[in-house]
Amino acid sequence: MKKINDEKFIVPIGPQHPALKEPGHFEFTVDGEIVTSATARLGYAHRGIEKAVENHNWAQNLYILERICGICSHTHATNYCLGVEKLAGVEAPARANAIRIILSEMERIHSHMLWWGVAAHEGGFDTLFMYTWRDRETVLNLLEELSGNRVHYSANVLGGVKFDITQEQAELMYTGLDYLEERTHRYLKIMTEDESFLRRTRGIGVMTRDQAKLLGAVGPTARASGVFRDVRIDSPYIGYENYPPQIITDTAGDLEARFTVRVRDLFESFRIIRAVLDNMPETELTVKVPRKIPAGNVITRVEAPRGECFYYIESNGSDMPERIKVRTPTLPNWGSVLATSAGHKLADMPMILVGIDPCFSCNDRAVVTKENGVENTWQWKDLRQYGITYYK
Amino acid sequence: MNLQIPPLVAVLIFPGGLTLIMAGLLYEWINRKLVAQYQNRVGPRWFQPLADVVKQLAKEEIAPEGADPFLFHLLPVVSLAAVMTAGLYVPMFGLLPISGFRGDLIAVLFLLSVVTMMLGLAGANTPNRFSLIGATRTLTQLFSYEAPFMLAMLGPAIMTGSWQIGEINQYIHLHPWMALLQPVGFVIAIIGLMGKLELPPFDAPEAETEIVSGALTEYSGRGLALFHIAKNVEMAISVTLVAAFYLDGITTPLAFLWKSAVLLVLLSGLQSLFARLRIDQTVGLWWRLGTLLALLQLLVIVLVW
Repeated sequence: MKKINDEKFIVPIGPQHPALKEPGHFEFTVDGEIVTSATARLGYAHRGIEKAVENHNWAQNLYILERICGICSHTHATNYCLGVEKLAGVEAPARANAIRIILSEMERIHSHMLWWGVAAHEGGFDTLFMYTWRDRETVLNLLEELSGNRVHYSANVLGGVKFDITQEQAELMYTGLDYLEERTHRYLKIMTEDESFLRRTRGIGVMTRDQAKLLGAVGPTARASGVFRDVRIDSPYIGYENYPPQIITDTAGDLEARFTVRVRDLFESFRIIRAVLDNMPETELTVKVPRKIPAGNVITRVEAPRGECFYYIESNGSDMPERIKVRTPTLPNWGSVLATSAGHKLADMPMILVGIDPCFSCNDRAVVTKENGVENTWQWKDLRQYGITYYK
Repeated sequence: MNLQIPPLVAVLIFPGGLTLIMAGLLYEWINRKLVAQYQNRVGPRWFQPLADVVKQLAKEEIAPEGADPFLFHLLPVVSLAAVMTAGLYVPMFGLLPISGFRGDLIAVLFLLSVVTMMLGLAGANTPNRFSLIGATRTLTQLFSYEAPFMLAMLGPAIMTGSWQIGEINQYIHLHPWMALLQPVGFVIAIIGLMGKLELPPFDAPEAETEIVSGALTEYSGRGLALFHIAKNVEMAISVTLVAAFYLDGITTPLAFLWKSAVLLVLLSGLQSLFARLRIDQTVGLWWRLGTLLALLQLLVIVLVW
């Protein structure tokens, strides 16, 4: 019989595991059922997007960057457009910004509803999972009605948006939002009152305010720990200064707080969408953006459903970018998972893991290999060389 | 109802054997379909469990490196044999039990637990970490629900003054409903049943988001299919047992049908109501609450009766 030589009992989760919908690798050292330490290894879904955008022109990159994430595609496109528009010295028309806000908030609704379902499933509460995903169809249908697509809305173009929102569509939105708001109240009730569910979320994975600040957590994960951090308020973009959301925080910092913060976030989204729809400015939808962007660099930040999404764009004056660096909100949040998991039961791990709403392929920036226990990060040069020799 | 059936036919085809297996698969389908309906899903087609089993039976069975191959192949067979034997002493389909002896209630309860024990052994036999954790949890859960479930089953037996399932069944049919006389026992029996069958929210031993398939992670093909069938037959038998003990006995096929249906609807409803309990919560629930209540009820029965 082959013996497991390690003294520690390590439970591997991933890269292929039913708890993970995307590839990632986590090693939990357990003592019985109690987890004593956790390590994460990322990089299974590295797609080389940042390199790819350097070989395409500014307009084509919009298409590529929107596909970094399947859930918050609008965030990435908006972030990129904001940066490029800033570099080019143009500003999108007011109506375009209004439509961008509406889509951003609808994306937040659909992302949070998706997450409730996934998190409930990790906790073995499949009924909640099925119900939230059924209701999520409402917002997906609205997005399809507006843009023709359920997930990649591709609403943005450099200098504006592609489509307008008609009066009939606005009526549909009001009806849909009413239904969603009613259901959200119901889910808030379930998440704060259901005894069996609270036993899995209350007091689990507690991250204090200081820890959250130290680890640099962003978005709802940070807000659930009482950190006031929201790009929409800290540095308003696409006209959020006219429709400031009320910042939703909780002090508990446990899984329950992460649930309720995300649920209460939605009421703000509903309010903002209605307010924007009520006051749609009558302007053009696009302005002209030059084919070649003037040299320079710019940093833009957008509040994605999961937190702050960061873009650094550098132009050398040609029709292609010199460098684009993306930091998605999942990356700064990993620290909170690893820091809070020790001391909890193995059964709580999947919920703590998805508690930050992780999006693996968004944050994979490098390939890490492990041979004979030695970790090795592959540089671009090595990868290229490997590719050349592999296909020779 | 009493039918004259040759013993060999009774054991192999009806009401034991093939019929029992088919009944088990049907129970699984009803359960899955009902849960799906409660959860706003469509659910499987009626032949899906059968199709799964047929497919698995035809597949190659791979014994993992590091596992004892003899034990690996033996355990599923033993567990299926154990539940099929248990079926002989229970009034399945509203017929009289095929066989019976004094004290067969204890034998049946033990035979039904054999499946769980075999599951635990199967998990411990393979070097897979998920299997090991699954096995630990399976056995932990066995120790937590078994005592209260058994106590809940003893209640009617003590009132009858017999330990033979057939006799208890007849006695209960002639007297008021046990579910009314011993409501605590009924509740414990139902919840114990869910623990026994590892249905949600007591599915920590096979929680897929934590430990893949628990003890059965390394099983494939025939072994998996046999365990699958054993689990389903266990469900059919234990549901019948609880219906016989608490829902006024099972004496006709019609009574069998509607009482099992009521219990299945109840079980599926409870399955879709709760989030999964952690294994420590399961143990806490049974020993802090379940066992105490069951003991209390037993005390009341002994004193009053």
